[in-house]
Amino acid sequence: MAIAQLLVEVLALGAAYALVALGFVLILNATGAVNFAQGDLVMAGGFGAVLLADRLHVSGLVLLPALLAGMAVLGVVVALAAYMPLRRRPPEAVFISTIAVGIILQNVANRLFGAEPVATPPLFGAGRVRFAGVDASVQSVAIIGVAALLIAALYTLFTHTQFGRRLRATAYDRDMAMAIGIPVDRMIAGTFAVAAALAGAAGLLLSNTFFVTPSSGSDYMIKAYIAVVIGGWGSIRGAVAGALLIAAFEVLYPSLPLLVPALLWMPSSDAVFSQTTSTIVLDVAVLLILVVRPQGLFGEAARQRP
Amino acid sequence: MRRWVAHGGVALPLAVAACAYGVFVLPHASDYALRVLTVAGVYALLALGYGFIFGQAGALSLAQGTFMGVGAYVSGILAVRYGVAFDAALPVSVGLPVLLALLVAIPVLRLQTHYFALATLLIGQVVLLVATQWESVTGGANGIGGVPPLSLLGHPIEGRLPQLLLVWALVAAGAVLAWRIVSGRLGDAFALTRLHPVAARAIGIDTGSLRLAAFLLSAGFAGLAGSLYVHAIGVLSPDVLGFPVMITCLTIAVVGSRLRVAGAIAGAVVIIELPEWARFLRDDYLLAFGCILLLVVVALPGGLVETAERLLGWVGSRAVPSVMAGRVPAIFAPADEARMAGTRPAMTEGVGPFIAARAGDADLLTLVGVSRRFGGVLALDDVALTVRSGAVLGLIGPNGSGKTTLLNVVTGIFPADAGRVRLGGRDIAGRAPHAIARLGVARTFQTAALAAELSALDNVAVARGAARLGVGSALRAGRRDRAVVRGEAMALLERMGAGAYAAEAAGTLPPGIARLVEIARALATEPRLLLLDEPAAGLNETEQADLGRRLRGIAEDGVGLLVIEHNMPFLVPLADRMVCLDQGRVIAEGTPAAVQSDPRVIEAYLGTPPP
Repeated sequence: MAIAQLLVEVLALGAAYALVALGFVLILNATGAVNFAQGDLVMAGGFGAVLLADRLHVSGLVLLPALLAGMAVLGVVVALAAYMPLRRRPPEAVFISTIAVGIILQNVANRLFGAEPVATPPLFGAGRVRFAGVDASVQSVAIIGVAALLIAALYTLFTHTQFGRRLRATAYDRDMAMAIGIPVDRMIAGTFAVAAALAGAAGLLLSNTFFVTPSSGSDYMIKAYIAVVIGGWGSIRGAVAGALLIAAFEVLYPSLPLLVPALLWMPSSDAVFSQTTSTIVLDVAVLLILVVRPQGLFGEAARQRP
Repeated sequence: MRRWVAHGGVALPLAVAACAYGVFVLPHASDYALRVLTVAGVYALLALGYGFIFGQAGALSLAQGTFMGVGAYVSGILAVRYGVAFDAALPVSVGLPVLLALLVAIPVLRLQTHYFALATLLIGQVVLLVATQWESVTGGANGIGGVPPLSLLGHPIEGRLPQLLLVWALVAAGAVLAWRIVSGRLGDAFALTRLHPVAARAIGIDTGSLRLAAFLLSAGFAGLAGSLYVHAIGVLSPDVLGFPVMITCLTIAVVGSRLRVAGAIAGAVVIIELPEWARFLRDDYLLAFGCILLLVVVALPGGLVETAERLLGWVGSRAVPSVMAGRVPAIFAPADEARMAGTRPAMTEGVGPFIAARAGDADLLTLVGVSRRFGGVLALDDVALTVRSGAVLGLIGPNGSGKTTLLNVVTGIFPADAGRVRLGGRDIAGRAPHAIARLGVARTFQTAALAAELSALDNVAVARGAARLGVGSALRAGRRDRAVVRGEAMALLERMGAGAYAAEAAGTLPPGIARLVEIARALATEPRLLLLDEPAAGLNETEQADLGRRLRGIAEDGVGLLVIEHNMPFLVPLADRMVCLDQGRVIAEGTPAAVQSDPRVIEAYLGTPPP
C-alpha cells in the first residue's frame, strides 16, 4: 500500500501546486505577461494564515475565506502598482515590475515576521485517517478536498458566470473585449485578485508541512513557471497537469530506492536520491523539454504568421 | 542622431565629475568607502555586460549573476588551491562563463523571451546547487576564505586605492569597448533585431549570431566582474551565485538605462552607494531596490540616463531648431552632388546599390512545383513561376490565395514542403532567411516592418552592409563609418521620394511613406530580386504613378521585381507579365492584359456567374 500512500501525497502536493500555477496562467492569459511575484504571493498567503491563526485561534479551514478575501485585495494592489501603469508597454516591463513586487513582499515579510520558518495551522487537525486500507494524513486528504473545491469553484466562475465569460473574453483578445464594452482594466484587476487568492490558499495548504519563510516564494514561483511551460504556455488544463507532474516527480524521485530496492545498491545512492539532486534533475529535465518541445509536453505547436 | 548628440552631453559631464572625484575625494576616503566604490566598479562591469543581452539583444537573461558567480568561483579556487594569480587566471575565469553561456545558448537562445528567462533562471539554480554540494572543490555552503588580493604581472596590488583604480580602469576599458560595439552600425542592427527580428533577417542580419554574440559578451564581462570581486573581497561564498546579485544587476540596468553604456556605470554607482548615502536603508537595502526598481519601471521607462538625455534634448531643441534637419545637408551633400552630376555614388566595387549586374533578361527566380501546407490547408499547390532580371512580374489573386505565403517561402520564412526554388541557378529552398537575403533577395512586408523608434534614415542605414557585419568589423569601423552609411541611406530615401522624411521616427510615418522607406531599405541591401507586398496601398493616385515610375527605374537597373498588388490601375502599366493565384494554384499567366481578361481570373475575383 506504499504506492497508494505516495499517490495521496502526490495528489495533495500537486493540487496545491496547481493552485499556484493556475494563478500564474490566469494572469499570463489576461495580460500576456509573466507574474514573477506569484511565488511570493504564496509566501504572503502563508504568513497571512499564520497571522490570522494567532489572532483567531481557529483551524485552517475556518480562516480560509478571510485569507482568500485578504489576498484578493493584495492582488488588486499588485495589479494597480505593477500592471496598470504598464499596460501599454511590452510584457517584459510587467515581468520586471513583478520581480520588484516580489522583492518588496519578501523584504516586508522579513521585517514583519523575521527569517525563522513558521507553520500554518492544519486545515482540520493533525492525525491520520485510514480508508480502503490506505493510511494518509488528515492534512493531505484535506488539501486534496480544499484544492479540488477551489478548482471547481474557479471552473464554475469561468464557465457559468458573466464575470467569468468577460474574464475569458479579456484573456482571449483584449482589444476585442474592449471594443464590445467589457471593462478590461477591471477584469484584469479581477484576474489578479483571483490569482492572488489562489496563491494565498496554496500558502495556507503548503506551509503546514513545509513551513514558510520570507524566501520560500521563489521555489513556488519556479514550480508554477515550470508547470505552465511543460503544460503548454497559456493552457489552463496544461498548468494543472504540469503541477501534478512536478509533484509526482518530487514525491516519487526521492522514494525510488523505497519502491525499487535494487537502486539501494547503487554507489552513493543517498546523494543520488537526495532532495537537492531531485531539484537538479528536475531543472535539467525542464531545460531538455524546452530544447526538444518548447510548446510543452501536451501543447500543439502554435504557428504564427509573420 | 539627436540621441547621440544628447548622449555625448550626458557622458561628458559624468566623465568630468568622475575625474574630479578621483583627484579631490578619493585620496582622503576611508578604506570602507573605497571598498564600496570598488564593488560599485565590479557591478558596473557586470551591468555593462548585461547591457548586451538585456539591452541590445532585448532578451531577459536571469543568468548574469550566475556567470559572475562562476567567474568568482573559478578565479577564487584557482588562487587558493593552485596559487594562480588573478591576471594569470583571467583566461579561465572569463573563458569558463563564456563557455557555459555558449553551451546554454545553443539550445536556449532561440526561445521566446519568457522561456529564455525561465531557462536562464534554472541554469542559475543548478549552478548554485552544484556549488553548495560539491564541497571538496567549492567549500560548500561555507565557501573558501583567504583569497589573495588582485595582482598584475606578478605584483600583488596591496591597498584599497590601487585596487579601486585597477577595477575602475577596467570599467573604463570595458565601457570604451561596449561603446564602440553599440554605437556603430552594429547598434542599429541590434535595434532592428530587437524591435523587428523578421525584418532584420529579411535584410540579411543573422539575428541568431547577433544574439549569441551579445550573450557571450555579457558572460565574458560577468566573468571578469566575478574574478575582480572575489579578489577584492578576499572571500569566496555561494552568495555570489545567489539571486540577489542578479536582482542588483537588473536594478542597475533598469535604473541606469538598459540601452546606454553610461547607464550601466551611473546605475551601478547609484545603486551600490545608495545604502551608504541613506544609512537607514542598511538593513533594508533590498527592499529599497525593489521599490526603486518598481518606481523606475513605471515612471522612467528609459532609466536615469535616457531621461537625462531627453531633458537635454529639450534644451537642445530649443537652442537649435532641429538637430537632425540642420545636419543632414552638410553630411550628405557629396552624395547629392554626385547624383546630380549623373554619376551614382560608388557604394561598393562593381555593383551599385540599385544596379544589379545586367544579365540580359535571364531567369532570376524560378519556382517549380512549390507546395506549402498549413495543417489541412494547402496554401501553395504546385506553383511554378519565373521572375526575370530587369523585369516586373505582377502577382495577383483574391485574399487568401497564397500570395504572401509565396513571398514567405521564397524568402525562407517558411520552408516549402515540396518543389524547387532557384535563384540564378542556385537552389535556395530550405536556407535561412538571412542567408537568402545575402544572396540578393530583398522584400517588403504587407504592413511595413520598420523599427518604430529609429528614424527613417537609420532604418535604411541599418541595411547598408549590416549583413556582413561582425563584432570585429564593427569595432574597427566605429562611428566614422556611420556617417558614410547614412549618406548612402539618404541617397536611397531620395531615390524613393521619401528624403523629406529622413529625420522622422519610423513609427510616426504615414503608412504610404513607411512603405517607401521600406523599399529604400530593401534597395540598400543591393538586391538582385526585390519582392514587394502591396507597395501602393495607402498612396493616392499621384503618389502611385510616382511610385510606379520609380519601380520601373529600379527594374531598368537590372533588378527583378515581384510585385503583389490588388490595385490594377497601378499594376497593369508597371508589370511586364502577371500571374494570378487562386487557392494556392496558378490559374493564369501572361501579359497583364491577357491575365486581366482571363475568364478564370474574373471568376476567381467575382465568383461564378449565376446560371
